[in-house]
Amino acid sequence: MKVSKKIVLLGHYGVGKTSIIRQFVTNEFSTNYQVTIGVHILKKELHIKHKDISLILWDIEGTNDLELIRSAYLLGSHAFIFAYDLCRPNTYNQLLKQIESLKQKYPKTICKVVGNKLDLIDTVDTTSIDYKTILEHTDYLTSAKTGENIERLFNDLATNLVL
Amino acid sequence: MQSQDYKIEELQRLLLQKERDDINALKKELEALLYIIDNEKQLEKKVAPIISKHLNAYTKEMPSTLGPTITKTLKTEIENSKDSIIDVLYPIIGKLIKRYIQQEFLKLSEKINQQVSRRLSIKGITRKLKAFVIGVKEEDIIITSLSETKIQEIFVIEKFSGILKGSFSKSKTIDKESLSAMLTAIKAFAEDALKNGTDQLEVIEYGSDKIYIQNFGTYYVAVVLYGVLDTNYKEILERQLFSFSKKYYRDSSSNSEISKGLDKIFNT
Repeated sequence: MKVSKKIVLLGHYGVGKTSIIRQFVTNEFSTNYQVTIGVHILKKELHIKHKDISLILWDIEGTNDLELIRSAYLLGSHAFIFAYDLCRPNTYNQLLKQIESLKQKYPKTICKVVGNKLDLIDTVDTTSIDYKTILEHTDYLTSAKTGENIERLFNDLATNLVL
Repeated sequence: MQSQDYKIEELQRLLLQKERDDINALKKELEALLYIIDNEKQLEKKVAPIISKHLNAYTKEMPSTLGPTITKTLKTEIENSKDSIIDVLYPIIGKLIKRYIQQEFLKLSEKINQQVSRRLSIKGITRKLKAFVIGVKEEDIIITSLSETKIQEIFVIEKFSGILKGSFSKSKTIDKESLSAMLTAIKAFAEDALKNGTDQLEVIEYGSDKIYIQNFGTYYVAVVLYGVLDTNYKEILERQLFSFSKKYYRDSSSNSEISKGLDKIFNT
């Protein structure tokens, strides 16, 4: 029997939410940045622990204020992936507060925090960035460009969801 | 005297030799130019690149330089000669409409012929009996049946997650799960953006197809149909959907049971 799960990707503008999904679903990456307007939905089917699972991935337009997201997009979600850009501190300055708020509103929904753009970490001056706190709350460090940890992120999530 | 003339000539030759040489050179250049001008191919070879260059520049600049003037002139001309334009277009549009209607009638006529030719089938005999009992011409029943609303697909969708719970389909469609999720997003957006009390999105129309949405507590049903969705049909559809909800949805433990329930009610 097949089960379907709704997974919503959240985070600031330009952190790579669409790229993460594209890398996972079609193994593609594009440097041509296009802003997501509203919501874009993609699907990927996996076979985990002898079960067929259909991941319905909701790629929501980026925002720095979770309150601005239409609640209808978040309701009924089985998991949230909160993505931030490892090279842009303003994309995770409010992260702890936002995660806390999400967990309070949707206590039954799994929430995974992802630091994306791992491939760019060497190219920016990170001396002034304090990663200690943020990395304590990060579940995966990914690169949508190279595909690093993307498959693992979704496979782990799907396993959690079917168990 | 002779020697005098000779001397003058010699003097001229000595004094004007350079000018003569220049004149000769100019003559040759003039002849070459005349050859180019008189010879079409030679002239074309020289002039064509220049014309082409200017023409390209002109083509590129035309929209910005002449565009506004042309648009303005056209607007004025159209405004001033509406009647003339209508006179010109009317026969063309008329012909197109006429042709379209003719084609549609032809299709309808073919369908009626097909129905009539199946007179001896069970359907045909039933129709004849129906016409006899209710006192309506058999042709009228055929025409009504041809214009009736037809259900293409039905999706039972979880209200908030947009997860597909079950479906009924008469034709193969694109990915049902993605469609259900996208439909839920559209519905959520419309209901959220156009906040108007507790109103909910009821119908989405695209071309001659419609998606009728019936909301229930924790789920909604989206019916994709072709044809006219009038009040009578809506009432019938609502009754069928409530019947499905009561008989099948509540007791269904799996998606396949929900789909079977839809099949039992709508696959007639």
